[in-house]
Amino acid sequence: MAGLELLSDQGYRLDGRKATELRKVQARMGVFAQADGSAYLEQGNTKALAVVYGPHEMRGSRSRTLHDRAVINCQYSMATFSTAERKRRPHGDRKSTEMSLHLKQTFEAAVMTQLYPRSQIDIYVKILQSDGGNYSVCVNAATLAVIDAGIPMRDYVCACTVGFVDETPLADLCYAEESGGVSSLALALLPRGGQIALLQMDARLHQDHLETLIEAAMTACKGVSKVLDEVVRQHLQEVSVLTGE
Amino acid sequence: MIGSVCVTQSPVSPSFLLHFRTAEPLEYHRSFLKENCRPDGRELSEFRTTTLNIGSISTADGSALVKVGNTTVICGIKAELANPTVEAPGKGYIVPNVDLPPLCSSRFRPGPPGEQAQAASQFIADVIESSEVIQTEDLCIERGKLCWVLYCDMMCLDYDGNVLDACVVALLAALKNTQLPEVTVNTETCTPGVTLEKRHGLRINKHPVATSFCIFDDSILIVDPTAEEESLATAQLTVVTDEEDRLYSLHKPGGTSLSGQKLQECISRATARQREIQKLINKVIHSVKTAQ
Repeated sequence: MAGLELLSDQGYRLDGRKATELRKVQARMGVFAQADGSAYLEQGNTKALAVVYGPHEMRGSRSRTLHDRAVINCQYSMATFSTAERKRRPHGDRKSTEMSLHLKQTFEAAVMTQLYPRSQIDIYVKILQSDGGNYSVCVNAATLAVIDAGIPMRDYVCACTVGFVDETPLADLCYAEESGGVSSLALALLPRGGQIALLQMDARLHQDHLETLIEAAMTACKGVSKVLDEVVRQHLQEVSVLTGE
Repeated sequence: MIGSVCVTQSPVSPSFLLHFRTAEPLEYHRSFLKENCRPDGRELSEFRTTTLNIGSISTADGSALVKVGNTTVICGIKAELANPTVEAPGKGYIVPNVDLPPLCSSRFRPGPPGEQAQAASQFIADVIESSEVIQTEDLCIERGKLCWVLYCDMMCLDYDGNVLDACVVALLAALKNTQLPEVTVNTETCTPGVTLEKRHGLRINKHPVATSFCIFDDSILIVDPTAEEESLATAQLTVVTDEEDRLYSLHKPGGTSLSGQKLQECISRATARQREIQKLINKVIHSVKTAQ
């Protein structure tokens, strides 16, 4: 690998983490009053905001209505000041359109859409500050927002990116690692059943390594799910104290 | 019967109030305004609690997050090097942009910016230009060759009325938080060199602050309207003033007429608000400095 040494001989990474160590995850649910569900999540230096509206009547073209389940509508966008170089188009470019589609597919696999026929659920995610792992941070934030909106899901959806350096899988890549030419894989998992909601890898990797990489990603996702579960429980406790139940 | 409803005196069931609010929003508000108070417990000339947080986005050159009640606006400033325009070779420029994305309220649809967002962007641009909050000459690095462009992106994250006020506060606080790297132009090669370690703050000349009002039933003036109050009001008014009580903008987009005397009341409320906000900004900046 040219240039940066992503994993030192002592087994430490650029930001001082161990190979399987996640970045610090901090999250809050129910941050906004207008939305049906909202959440803010920080994973290291990546900060994301997720807002859920719905389930509500279909808006816009009614021809998209599904008679047996709800339509999930996702929009991913990045604030113009979220990256080192100013982003000219916060949404609507190919990269964000792809990301919106991936989020939609992930949540179609997790939300119990059959409970709301002929309706629509909007999930809007915004990256306020980006430092790698945008997809996974968005999924994690959106999960909390969907839970906050009270929409039933099969399980939490937890996502994590994993890279492969010197025969070692690295969990939860930051921007410097992502851009350092590592083959990385993004995985969204329903942790309780170990079901994969979305798996994406667009880099070269020997197929013998795939299994170890997926294994590492699943472990990382389960780590994330523990944190998210903690956040949800904490939030519920606070809310129940406030409402006096 | 409906007119006699008053929360403070008669014990009315909460569910009745909720239905009353949904079915007859205007009557519901009137019943409060008659008693000189508002549904959220405020007086007519009382602002919602304003909170400010600066420098939370490290990828931006300056940033601020403002909450006025539930309304939340984040402003991030990115500076870029550019060539000055031919008409003004000694000046840099500021490009403001207000975004009302669909995530902030169900009233906004995905797609290109709507009328309200464009009007707000133009309003902010006018305030920047008329108040000269920053001397654009300060942004010039080399006359006719190199200058700074400040992209000020204000994004509403939660829409509960009165975005203009929140945007102006966010912009002002973010500008005060902005640190630009030092740039030197090599005289021989004419190439700019950026020293990221050496950073300077901007010189803020004026502190413009906006104060918005709504007019109810052609006569009752309320300050800092919520989204619901905005939609029921018969007219709106925004006043922008600075610390020396100079007016920068008086914006009243149509609606019912307003007497000169009422307008004076608005202006004096706006000057009081300006003091409050400037104090708030100074306090927050001071607390950030001492924390470092």
